[in-house]
Formats: sequence, structure tokens, C-alpha cells
Amino acid sequence: MNRAFPLFTDAGPVRAVLLREFRDALINRYFQVFAALSFLGGVAAIIFSEDANSVPVLILQVALYFVSLFALLAGASSAQAERDEWEMLFAQPVSRAAYVVGKFVAYLSIFAAVLLLLFLPGLVNGASRLAILYLQTLLLAAVFLALGLTAGFLAHDRAQALIIGVSAWLLLLFGIDFIALFAARWELTQKFPDLWVSFLMLNPLDSFRIEALFSLEQIPAEAANKTPLASWWIAHAAVWFSFSAATWSAVFITLSGLRLSRWED
Amino acid sequence: MTIVVEGIIKKYGRNPVLRGLTFSARPGDITLLVGPNGAGKSTIMKVLAGLIHPDGGSARIDQADIIKERIRAQHFLSYLPQSPSFHPRMTCAEILRFYARLRGVAFSRYEAVFELAGLRDFERVRTGEFSGGTRQRLGLALLLLPDAPVLLLDEPGLSLDPGWRKRLQETLRFEAGRGKSVLVTTHLIAEWNKIAHRCLLCREGQIERELDPSNLPQNFDETESAGRDAPERSTTDEPRLSIVH
Repeated sequence: MNRAFPLFTDAGPVRAVLLREFRDALINRYFQVFAALSFLGGVAAIIFSEDANSVPVLILQVALYFVSLFALLAGASSAQAERDEWEMLFAQPVSRAAYVVGKFVAYLSIFAAVLLLLFLPGLVNGASRLAILYLQTLLLAAVFLALGLTAGFLAHDRAQALIIGVSAWLLLLFGIDFIALFAARWELTQKFPDLWVSFLMLNPLDSFRIEALFSLEQIPAEAANKTPLASWWIAHAAVWFSFSAATWSAVFITLSGLRLSRWED
Repeated sequence: MTIVVEGIIKKYGRNPVLRGLTFSARPGDITLLVGPNGAGKSTIMKVLAGLIHPDGGSARIDQADIIKERIRAQHFLSYLPQSPSFHPRMTCAEILRFYARLRGVAFSRYEAVFELAGLRDFERVRTGEFSGGTRQRLGLALLLLPDAPVLLLDEPGLSLDPGWRKRLQETLRFEAGRGKSVLVTTHLIAEWNKIAHRCLLCREGQIERELDPSNLPQNFDETESAGRDAPERSTTDEPRLSIVH
């Protein structure tokens, strides 16, 4: 047991990595800018909303574009931060997966704290639905943080990490929807519409959009009840998004771990 | 603990770097690994440190196979790379504390190596602002921090001034005297004369022969003049293997 799962039995090294990553995240410039912009975004949502109900919709836009991008940049930056130290670091008797998990847990914890700056101004005004949106946004941040870590560990330098990360972000934010737009005309997707729906379901950003929009706007599920899969998705949007976000995060964390385990100087 | 390397093979693409390298290093000895550039000295150090997976052969530290039981074997060793680098945003104290936690080192030892490496003035300085010599001293502190029975040093002291290089050698002599196995790769052969206990000449990924450690410059010159390129002299008149091709 101890030999097979050193990550879970050696608490000391994981604690060491966690403490170091907390410290690193606090002095990471991306996080400092993110914290300032989060607070401004939260205040702006209050100022520019016509009523309390429109606050979550404005914050949803901030979460979709701004939180996902910053989570990705923070992950990529963190993965590259001590790249020159890997020779020293990986000569220590610690599972390399511990570094990945330590980074992920520490950064996600700090994201959870910083995101409060975005949501708290709205919560003060009594917009209780923001609490659910906060948890959904945190899950979205987890996916993009893990994606950023993978991009950072795969890349040879910081510039390459940012190019890979931002390209993946653009693909998920716009690219998948453009592809879906064109694919909608294809004979195959006309014949099997659930295939088209499943393509969108796989994108964590689309899952987030659907879940948030349908819960915030209170759109009746029948509005998108065109195929059996679509109706299931709409009816279980929260469950699907939670599952999708957790799965994608796990996939990216595993990929990062595999990348590090195969790294040779 | 004895380091035992048997028939290690390592290729980068089609280029073989280690061709069945075999040697051992005993506890209580400072064993030097010398040889020209590309001889495979740094590669074997990285294999022993668990950083490189060889294509064949075995490497053990005592009974722990570094290839099959990497983490167990790494518990017995401490490694100083040729150019140690650290997280640039972390201070000297933060780096030392991190590695101390990672290896479960007592606070008293952490304090002792801080003093030994003369890093007290750099405690709150970020490592990104360090000179090459200070980084080496932090690397030396980290090498000694876990009190591991096996010390691996790849070209140590290249960025250190002569005073610190001498201090490094004295420290390694002391650690070897405590029964540790110390394995060092170096270009600065003359500096290790009468300090190392054994000296192995590595060439083209194999151990060619063992040199007399009490007369290293002469031994090295004889080896080189016996059919090989003569070494150039550095400005400090050190015989430097790095410039022998």
C-alpha cells in the first residue's frame, strides 16, 4: 500500500508542497491582478445591474470569460514557475504526482477565497442564487486551473505554455461552438441530433453556460427539449456540469502527473 | 552505503552516452569521476539521482534499486546538480524550509546548514537575485540538509571562489569520515589531489581505468599523453578535463 500510493501515505511531502504553493500563489502576479479585478467586477455588477435579479447574469459573464482565463493563466504560470528547479526537486524521495496535486489543491483553495471578492458584493444585496453560481464558478476554475497546469507542464517554456493554454481556452470558448454551428448542417448530425448534443456536452464551458443560464434565467426545460439527450441534459444540467468538471479536472491532473513522471533532464 | 553501478547503458536517440558503465563507490570514500566532456559523467549522476531512466543495466544504493524503487533509493541520497536553480520568487529561507519539510529534517539541522553555507545574510533574499556562487552555496546547504548516507555532486564548486571550494572539500572529507559514500564528478582535477580516496577515469561511457588519487595531475597527464589529445591549461593552471576532446 505504502509503495503503491506514496502520494497518499507520505503526508509530510504533500504538506510541504501545499505550504510552498500557498506562498507562491500569494505572490503570483496573476493572482494579485485577479483579486483586484474580481472585487471591481463584483462591485461593477451591483452598480450596472438594473435590479437584484440581473446581478447573477452579469457575474455569469465575468465568470465565463474572466475566471476561466485567469485560472488557466495561473495554472500555466505555476507549472512553469520552478521548471529550472526540477533537477533538484525530482531528486528528492517524493512522488512527482505530489507536486501536481499540491499545486492544484493550493491554487484552487486560493481561487475559492479570491472568488468571494467577486460574489460577496452581490450576496450583500440578497441575491441568494449567487451562492450556487459561486460553487459552479469554482468548479469551472478547477477545470481551467488543471488545464493550465497541463499546458504548463507540457510546454518547454513560459511563452509556449501561454500559447498552448490560451489556444485551448479559445477553442473551448468559441471554437467548439463554431464547429457545432457548421456541424449542425451535416447530414449525419441531422440524422443523429444526439451526437451533436453530446459534442456540446463534452465542452465544460458549454456545460457551465447551459447550467448557469437555465438556472438563472429560469428558462423552461421544454425550450430545448428537442432530443432525448438534450432534454436529459437540461433536466440534469447541474449534475452533468459537476460530473463533467470533476472528470475534466481529474483528466488534466492525471495528464500533468504522467508528464512529470516521464520527465527526464 | 555502497553505490553499485553495473552495465548501465543510456542512449539519446541513436547516440550512446553510457556503454555498459560499471563501478562501485564505498562508504567512507570520496570517489572522483573524471573524464572529458561527453564521457557520460553527468548522465550517470542523473541516473543515480533518479532523474534519468537508463536503457539497460542496474544501479543500486545499498540494496535499493534506483530504477525499480526510485523513491526508496532516493531516501538514501542527496544530490547537488551542476547548476542548481531554485524557484526565483522564493527566499533562501523558504527554499531551505521547503526541502527540510520535504525530507522531514529537524529544525536544528536546518539551522546548522544555514550557518555552514554562510547564508545568514541571504535569509530573506529571493533566489532570483542570487549570484551563481550563492546559488551553489544554497545547493550545498540542501545537499547536507537531510544527512543522507550517499552524497552525489556533479561538478561542484565551479561558481565558488577558492575559499569556498576548499571549504566544500573539507566538508566532504568530514562527511566521508562519518562513513558516507561521496561521489563527485569534476574537471578541476588538481584541486582534488590527495583529497579524494579514489579516482575513476570515465571515457566514452565506460570506466577506462582507475587513477592514483595521490598524484592526480601527473596521472592525468600520463593518461592523456598516452595516445590522447593533450589538455589545454586554464588561466589558473588547473588541468581541466572539460576542454579535452
